[in-house]
Amino acid sequence: MIRVIPVLFGALFTVATAWSLGLLLFRKLSLVFHVWEERLLAFVAGSACLSAILFLLSVTRLVRRGILLVLALGIIGYAVYSGAFRRTGKPLPPVSPLPRLWRWVFVVFFAAFTYVGFFNALAPEHSPDGMSYHLSEVLKYQHAHGFAPITTDIYSNLSQGIELLYLFAVDFGRYSAASLVHFTFLVVLVFLILSYGKRIGRPEVGVAAAIFTYACPIVLLDASIAYVDVALAAVLFALFYLLQIWDENPDPKMLVPIGLLAGFGYEVKYTAIVAVPYAAGFIAWKLWRARKPLLRPVLVVSLIAVSCIVPWMVKNWIEVANPVSPLANRVFPNPYVHVSFEEGWRAHLTNYDLASRWQIPLQITVQGDHVEGFLGPLFLLAPLALLALRFRAGRQLLLAAAIFGCTYFSNIGTRFLIPVVPFVSLALALAVADIPWLLLTLVILHGITCWPDVYDLYCAHDAFRIENVPVMAALRLQPEDAYLMQDPEYVVVRMIGSAVPPNEPVFAISQGGQSYLQRDLLVGYESASNEVLQDILWTPVVRAFQPTRILTFDFPPRELRKLRVVQTAGLPHNQWSIAEMHIFNGQNELPRDPGWRLTAHPNPWEVQQAFDNSPVTRWRSWQPAAPGMYVQVDFGRPQSVSSVVVQSSDDTGDAKVKLEGMGADGAWVTLSDHPVQSRQPIRASLRLAATAELKARGIHYLLIKPENPGSDDLRRYPAFWGLSVAGSVGDVRLFHIK
Amino acid sequence: MILIRFACLIACVLCLAACDRFPESYAPPEQRHPVEGFNPGPEAMMVEMSDPDASLHIVKDIYGPTDPSWRWTSQNPTVQLLVLSTENLKFHADFAIWDDGFKTTGPLEIAFLVNGRLLDKIRYATPGLKQFEKPVPPDWLSADADTTLAMTVDKLYVAPKDGVKFGVILQRIGFKSR
Repeated sequence: MIRVIPVLFGALFTVATAWSLGLLLFRKLSLVFHVWEERLLAFVAGSACLSAILFLLSVTRLVRRGILLVLALGIIGYAVYSGAFRRTGKPLPPVSPLPRLWRWVFVVFFAAFTYVGFFNALAPEHSPDGMSYHLSEVLKYQHAHGFAPITTDIYSNLSQGIELLYLFAVDFGRYSAASLVHFTFLVVLVFLILSYGKRIGRPEVGVAAAIFTYACPIVLLDASIAYVDVALAAVLFALFYLLQIWDENPDPKMLVPIGLLAGFGYEVKYTAIVAVPYAAGFIAWKLWRARKPLLRPVLVVSLIAVSCIVPWMVKNWIEVANPVSPLANRVFPNPYVHVSFEEGWRAHLTNYDLASRWQIPLQITVQGDHVEGFLGPLFLLAPLALLALRFRAGRQLLLAAAIFGCTYFSNIGTRFLIPVVPFVSLALALAVADIPWLLLTLVILHGITCWPDVYDLYCAHDAFRIENVPVMAALRLQPEDAYLMQDPEYVVVRMIGSAVPPNEPVFAISQGGQSYLQRDLLVGYESASNEVLQDILWTPVVRAFQPTRILTFDFPPRELRKLRVVQTAGLPHNQWSIAEMHIFNGQNELPRDPGWRLTAHPNPWEVQQAFDNSPVTRWRSWQPAAPGMYVQVDFGRPQSVSSVVVQSSDDTGDAKVKLEGMGADGAWVTLSDHPVQSRQPIRASLRLAATAELKARGIHYLLIKPENPGSDDLRRYPAFWGLSVAGSVGDVRLFHIK
Repeated sequence: MILIRFACLIACVLCLAACDRFPESYAPPEQRHPVEGFNPGPEAMMVEMSDPDASLHIVKDIYGPTDPSWRWTSQNPTVQLLVLSTENLKFHADFAIWDDGFKTTGPLEIAFLVNGRLLDKIRYATPGLKQFEKPVPPDWLSADADTTLAMTVDKLYVAPKDGVKFGVILQRIGFKSR
């Protein structure tokens, strides 16, 4: 049980530091809140400040335990010394007292769901995304004492404002400390909702909405693991709250925390970029209505928000040449993320393999298997929240819900609705608050239907949910390793750790428990270079990828300085690719001279793969084929050429190409637009060529799971691939390339 | 004024982010020399019943493992595997006829088939360990598709307890180079 102490310390130390920073900020700005509001908002604003400090430390590679300890103790000490913790807030104005029944309802449900959430958060962390990226990035940064340039994992390009708080917590309390920090955001959010209910003079609405949010299965689950969605919900609700306070008392200094939280939303998750126009627009609208100058306040909020956002953009620009990576790769072409990946990923996230969008309401409220979790059946009544439009507070809540929810259809996972849940909960409670027995009934029914033993009766079998309360594991009465060994992903990474030497990367088709692996796991879809490795690996087993299609351009011998094969067809469903391009003068192939310069459009960074004599590599457009794409050779001097042979593959579909040449006059002319098409058998052992190519690229280990495409062939014929089995767990194989 | 300067700075940073800093052209890379033909070693074209992935080769009539090194078959144990070379291969099978079962079935006649074509049929008059080997005509094989290897056992031992039918005890089946 003593092992739980560092975990609690790591979390509490992080929370205390953030809270102190927030209080210091509020004192510095001389902002006066009501007592509870101050405490709660200070934690959220302080988290933004702590995250900013950790960003600077990460940039300078100063994330070391000693430095963090001294810094945090200094912050907390200064806050105590300067009296920041002293009660200075004013009490909330008196409202009709909360009936005792409502108090008990809150206490009972809050205690019950805290039991579920707290012990899950305290237990060893093994959530899918927590292990595969939120915490695995933290592990990398911890080893590098700050930002380590990572170009092989798109997730490290996302903003990581909360992950930086996890970095702080993990340094003292391992991964469970990160989960507890996230859980703290939920507790703060719930009390902010309560407080807001009091502020609008409807405390019973606050209680009901707090329970609606707290008991919501996906919210409680998300908060108990090292994800970021609940933290985002807390940030956005705190922003909303500050704007409401500013609306009542337009203190210009309040614009500072407003701008800070508007920008911090983006730092937590890209989708929260809408918080900036929301905050700026809210202020502009209110000031315009009051006939007051609006330019300066709006600029202050916007610039503070932008100053939070820009450092992440600059980091991405420096590391992966795209400030908003992994998005907008057509606007910011780069060698790290393929356009086709981004477009496929986005298409998947808008659909999640659902047959129809009409499935979404039941999926997100009751079933939860396709969309990774559910909100609880209460939220089937969410449309009733529109009845709250008759109240001013209801209109404010629904406006915020609409704005923060407007990005939902870019990712229809239930988690992406979490930022909206507090607003909908409050609006729904407000809508029925005039019928107290109905509100109470809804709270009790929601509490019951969201209890794990109860939702097991109605949700889909494999819905993402809390399934039990691991008290023994949480208190470390069950050894951490024994608990984690129940997770197959953990068992696999343990196997990898024992079989693969340090510093050896492992290539895998799908994600795993990277946060527990001290090796680099290169996952097939997570970067352009990984996708190339995957393409190489799949070429022997996917006939359509193999270079069996031959296009021959014959023409009268000409003196040329440059030569290019140009795509003339637009194929929305096919990429264009060239496996090899051979250039002949008469019967003799021109040797590939080191003085040649090769280029391509798009994706010039992979053009060498069309000139490496390997049957398993190719230049690909990595986006749908379009007229004007080309692969080009600059000979550097006039060169006599009479034919060009292009090896391609069947997955290029109806690609149509022409050959252009540039002579001494510097003008491009078409040499041939009717290549002779033929087929060639594959003589080389593609399997051996593939593994040899991977080996040449520094990959000596492959992790193959049974569900991975091509896994049957790899497991059946390891000798044909030049592989030996280095380890196995069930049907998962770790292969070593001999 | 400070705000305007700050805005300009951010605008510059964003503009710079759009700049390209990678080379647009490259020299030809090191040339690869892919292996032609194939020589993966004698074990590559053999399905070992001890291999945890043997099930991926099994088409039918081979029971799950009851022992690390062998498996019971039923009447038509069939596997599929890949050959990249069609020349100079021989069908190879190591199996055993169970003593107690033999007392019930008597001598067994076992046919050996490659891609459904009968390669040989042998009568085994005694129980115990057996080995079958016979060259396979190259034109029966294809280098770019799975090859099916099968045995057909004429008489089965039927377990009196549960009626389960057993053929032979298989250790390995596949091809060896001649």
